[in-house]
Amino acid sequence: MHARPSSVLVKEASGFQSEFFIKLHGYKVNGKSILGVMTLAAEYGAELELIFEGDDENEALKKITELFNNKFKTD
Amino acid sequence: MSPVSIEITGRPASQGIGIGKTKRLVKKQQVIQPEKINPADVKYHLEKVKKAKEILNSDFEDLKKLTKDPEAEKILEAQIQLLHDPELEKLINSKIENDHYTAIYAIFSSFNQYIEILNSASPDWASERTIDLSSIRDQFLKAIENKKERFSVQSGDIVFAEEISPTAMIRLSDVKIAGLVLQKAGLTSHAVILSQSLGIPCVIGAHWNKTALRDNMDAIVDGTKGKVILNPEDNYIKQFKSLQKDQESKRKTILKWASKPNRTKCGSEFTVRANIEFLEELPRLVTHGANGVGLLRTETLLFEAEEFNVNDQVEFYKKVVEASGDYPVTIRLFDAGGDKLLSDYETEANPFLGWRGIRMLLDNKSLLKKQLEAIYRLSGNYKGRVKLLVPMITGIEEIESVKSVCAEVEKKLKNASIPYDESMQFGVMIEVPSTVIMAQSIAKKVDFFSIGTNDLTQYTLAVDRGNDKISDLFDSDHPAIWKMIKMTVDAAQKEGIPVSVCGEMASKPEAAACLLGLGIKELSMNPASIPGVKSMVCNKTLLEMKKISDEVLKSEKVSDVHRIFKNGLKEK
Repeated sequence: MHARPSSVLVKEASGFQSEFFIKLHGYKVNGKSILGVMTLAAEYGAELELIFEGDDENEALKKITELFNNKFKTD
Repeated sequence: MSPVSIEITGRPASQGIGIGKTKRLVKKQQVIQPEKINPADVKYHLEKVKKAKEILNSDFEDLKKLTKDPEAEKILEAQIQLLHDPELEKLINSKIENDHYTAIYAIFSSFNQYIEILNSASPDWASERTIDLSSIRDQFLKAIENKKERFSVQSGDIVFAEEISPTAMIRLSDVKIAGLVLQKAGLTSHAVILSQSLGIPCVIGAHWNKTALRDNMDAIVDGTKGKVILNPEDNYIKQFKSLQKDQESKRKTILKWASKPNRTKCGSEFTVRANIEFLEELPRLVTHGANGVGLLRTETLLFEAEEFNVNDQVEFYKKVVEASGDYPVTIRLFDAGGDKLLSDYETEANPFLGWRGIRMLLDNKSLLKKQLEAIYRLSGNYKGRVKLLVPMITGIEEIESVKSVCAEVEKKLKNASIPYDESMQFGVMIEVPSTVIMAQSIAKKVDFFSIGTNDLTQYTLAVDRGNDKISDLFDSDHPAIWKMIKMTVDAAQKEGIPVSVCGEMASKPEAAACLLGLGIKELSMNPASIPGVKSMVCNKTLLEMKKISDEVLKSEKVSDVHRIFKNGLKEK
């Protein structure tokens, strides 16, 4: 994943209590870590599995899904 | 005994003379040895990491407040985010807690671990400038060593560096340095553009590392000639000081021309626009009196963007249009290739005769469509103010191909009910001799011509300006070039379309006067040159300029043209 979208994703995810992990090809990284997300090397069109665990997991899921759908534009 | 004076020659990058003390900004490649600590000291080392992080954090925050550039702000935000990365923190802490390494080694090796992973995961991440891991690592290390002189450049220093990162440049722009000397960097790098807009004399391609340069030596930087003098003799300093004064007062007088109306002595109007590549240059549109942007270069967008998307482009273009007041902006499609070759493309034997400009774009339809879509979307909000310019056209076939792609984009936007300017002007660069010869046929197909004198010169005279052995043959004042410009103007006038000149030629006052004499009404140049050009052409009547161009067209040798420009015309 490129630096800019990674940065947006991590910023949003860090606002939630829940733990957040991203899985790709059996590889799992902390979604609140910009370095973690960048090491995923996710190409455009890659299928990612998003895992949320915590009290606000539903809100987090909603917000992050939105982010992916809007191609990481925040406004 | 006074020390020996040393002269270093480089390339001029930002005009002016700087006199001050030398200061090197050297990237030290430090290697930290793995050292173990006493388990009792774990807490102390964890605390050290935390403190260094706080120092760095407040440094970055301070810088963020200082900068007004949104791009720089984004870079700093990303750096702050990285500083607080939970995985990085875990790794560093575990190296201290579990492996009992020193804080400094824990930081060093943790960063390196990530640099290695990222290098193997996606080799091109390092070319992205948003997050420079090794630079943050080094700043972190310095913070933990509690080195106070982390950035000890003072006002009046002449800074010597290999190259300068955008963040370092933001810091430097706050301290009023006297000059900048770089070993690397190109004429269009951020550092150079910023030093121009801040009026800091700058020389690039100067191999100061091969001299006995130390900090705190007396030095002179001549950004106009591309020279650096270390340990100058006293009378030299005197000379340069008076030269500096002259230049300064001349610059001030000339700058007054920026706000004067664009009218020749006889009252005939003309237009002067700016060539722009970076957002940092935009404030100069107003200060230097540009009537909008006559050439917006978009290559940097392509090279620096991590991901090429339509929205980011629209945002970039929007900022340029907004900064142009009510004036138009001419956006040139990516003119990549040649000397600006993308790294992952194969090198060509003759890049300037190769796969570049519109040739590359027509082979990369998705890229072309994305750019056209961005420009069309923009035009919907600024009707009549956005113009499209196609580079490296050699014939009508290419114009037809680009137009059919435009039609596809228009159809897509129409179907999606997205507004665009249906009468957006479509122009082509005249930079290949074939288009000059075919100018009249081409003029029937397009709304305007823009003459790129640099490329037209190199293609007409068959000279590679980068080749030292023959670079003196590269001269836009060659009579053949003037005749070609004349042919282009004639063809355009017959078909009733406007011609502008956006090459380096337009920025030279004498040549600019000659261009107006040929009947050209629009010039586009780097903003810094506008006042000087205006000081020349506002002081002449069209008839006087016509006489100059008549004389130039009669010339048979380059030296004849030079003489006309140097001596002016004899009054009869």
